[in-house]
Amino acid sequence: MAQNVYDWLDERLGLQAIYDAILDREVPKVNWWFTLGSASLFLGLMQGITGILLSVYYVPTPDHAYDSITYIMTGVKFGWLILGIHHWGASLLILTAFIHMLRVFFYGAYKYPREVTWITGVMLLIGALGMGFTGYLLPWNQRSYWATTVGTEIAGSVPGIGNIILRILRGGTDLSALTLSRFFSLHIWIFPAILLAVVLTHLYLVIRLGISNIPDEDS
Amino acid sequence: MKEEQKKAYKRKYEQAKRKGVKFWPDIIYKDLLVSFGIFILLVGLAAFVGVAVEPKADPSDASYVPRPEWYFLFLFEFLKFVPGKIEWIGTFVLPVLVILVLFALPFLDRNPLRHWKNRLTGISIMGVVVLGMVGLTVRSVLTTPKKEEAVASTIQEKYALGEDLYSVNCVECHGPDGEGGVIAGVEGLEGVDLKSISSRDEIYTRSDETLAAIIDYGQQDQGMPPFGLAYGGELKKSEIDALVMYMRYTWDDRVELPSDAASAGAIPELSAEEIPSYEVHISRLAKRYCISCHRPGKENNNYLMGSYQEMLTSGDNADHNLIPGDLDSYLILAINGQSILDENGEEIIQRMPPTKMMKEEYIHIFEVWVLNGMPETASDAEALTVQGQE
Repeated sequence: MAQNVYDWLDERLGLQAIYDAILDREVPKVNWWFTLGSASLFLGLMQGITGILLSVYYVPTPDHAYDSITYIMTGVKFGWLILGIHHWGASLLILTAFIHMLRVFFYGAYKYPREVTWITGVMLLIGALGMGFTGYLLPWNQRSYWATTVGTEIAGSVPGIGNIILRILRGGTDLSALTLSRFFSLHIWIFPAILLAVVLTHLYLVIRLGISNIPDEDS
Repeated sequence: MKEEQKKAYKRKYEQAKRKGVKFWPDIIYKDLLVSFGIFILLVGLAAFVGVAVEPKADPSDASYVPRPEWYFLFLFEFLKFVPGKIEWIGTFVLPVLVILVLFALPFLDRNPLRHWKNRLTGISIMGVVVLGMVGLTVRSVLTTPKKEEAVASTIQEKYALGEDLYSVNCVECHGPDGEGGVIAGVEGLEGVDLKSISSRDEIYTRSDETLAAIIDYGQQDQGMPPFGLAYGGELKKSEIDALVMYMRYTWDDRVELPSDAASAGAIPELSAEEIPSYEVHISRLAKRYCISCHRPGKENNNYLMGSYQEMLTSGDNADHNLIPGDLDSYLILAINGQSILDENGEEIIQRMPPTKMMKEEYIHIFEVWVLNGMPETASDAEALTVQGQE
């Protein structure tokens, strides 16, 4: 029965081809440092899942953001767990992604033929930092408010166009409800959409080119 | 990269693959194991460390020490070394340069070799950069001032904070019980007759928000200065809230303070044989009735009452203010409503507190304290009591 269902699906979806192309591949024998990429992917997925759950209760306005977070922490069943995972996951993701980059650098894996994989990886790292920066404001507490004030000031110190950047980021001269809604939109729509596309490219390249091997002394 | 180098690489990679493993299950298994470990770690962090509770954003509180998320600390710290005038080099040029170098790394590094022994320059540069980042992060963590004292969180702490703030900021005009009266000894408001702020008329008709707003913005046309940080005062939003809470619980008979909070700030009664001490009695009385004016920066003959040492030794009349066993000490005379005159008959100290005398029993506490030589701690006072009985 199960075999029949599988065959029926395979005929239409090409499951066997996917299995052959992705799972049943020969790859070089590597060490544990090579798990950091998938660890980052896992953390990214966790951020996505917990983030979507948080968006059920979170309200991106200065009047309600703080209280909605308090409500998630105290009033929602397992809200503390979801928020806790999202909070700590962000830090861990930056850490794993960064060490992943150092591993790639150390083994020279950014060289031919994986140059584009490297470039998309750098984009992902910067994107993750952007997610961290925008997400930091959302709880609308003292820490996030003042860190974002200083952070946007730093962006505003760019010669010439600094003031324009500052006003675009803040939606005005000061941090306000507009800043919060902009950061919220960046955090849950714009960055994730871009990141998703880049992650898929990154993964496609990793599968297409195979994971790099550990170089020996004469290479 | 030249064609033959590409071919050589491919040959090597094929060899490695042949000696290698299957993506499924070997690699996937390792990945899943690590991911599972990370998941356990995340749940553990969420459960046992949690998310720090921070007060709500307060745009008026510019005293807050801003700190970015830890992974931006290195940049934050680095900027401290960049002089203000060329700050944009640190904030803009360098980060952009680093990002560009990262993006272009595969094209900048033309060396076809991959083993670290054959790429010592690159590896060392990266090593220095990473060590620098770690070092700056550590330095930033070490040099950031410890988190400022947590804002009072329990009702009891908040009430006590409110009481302290009331003593320091409000008593000199509004009196220790909000009774008002003619202001004496306050620059610019001398002789203004204040109505009570603790009467039912007042406290019943003003909501907490209104009280907070009045304290925050002041009522300039009636002489009330603004106390909020954003309007030139000294109080943070959370402090104003504590102040309002203190006023509400103390004067509004419709609400009752939880009993444990009520006992915290109360002035302990003195039993018949008991000798008061600075620690238990005097410090609380001084806080409620005196330090509003007897603190630095006020007109008070330089007499400060913030600590035991200050009470005994500060001021223009330090030799006369508190004399062990002498009820003619200036402080005792002043709180009994006498003004102190110098040889020429000029008043050097007016009666204290200037607005309204303290309750009889509080004056009595001061007197017994002076008669027994002003003990500092409760145990000093107890020792005296025992001696007296022998």
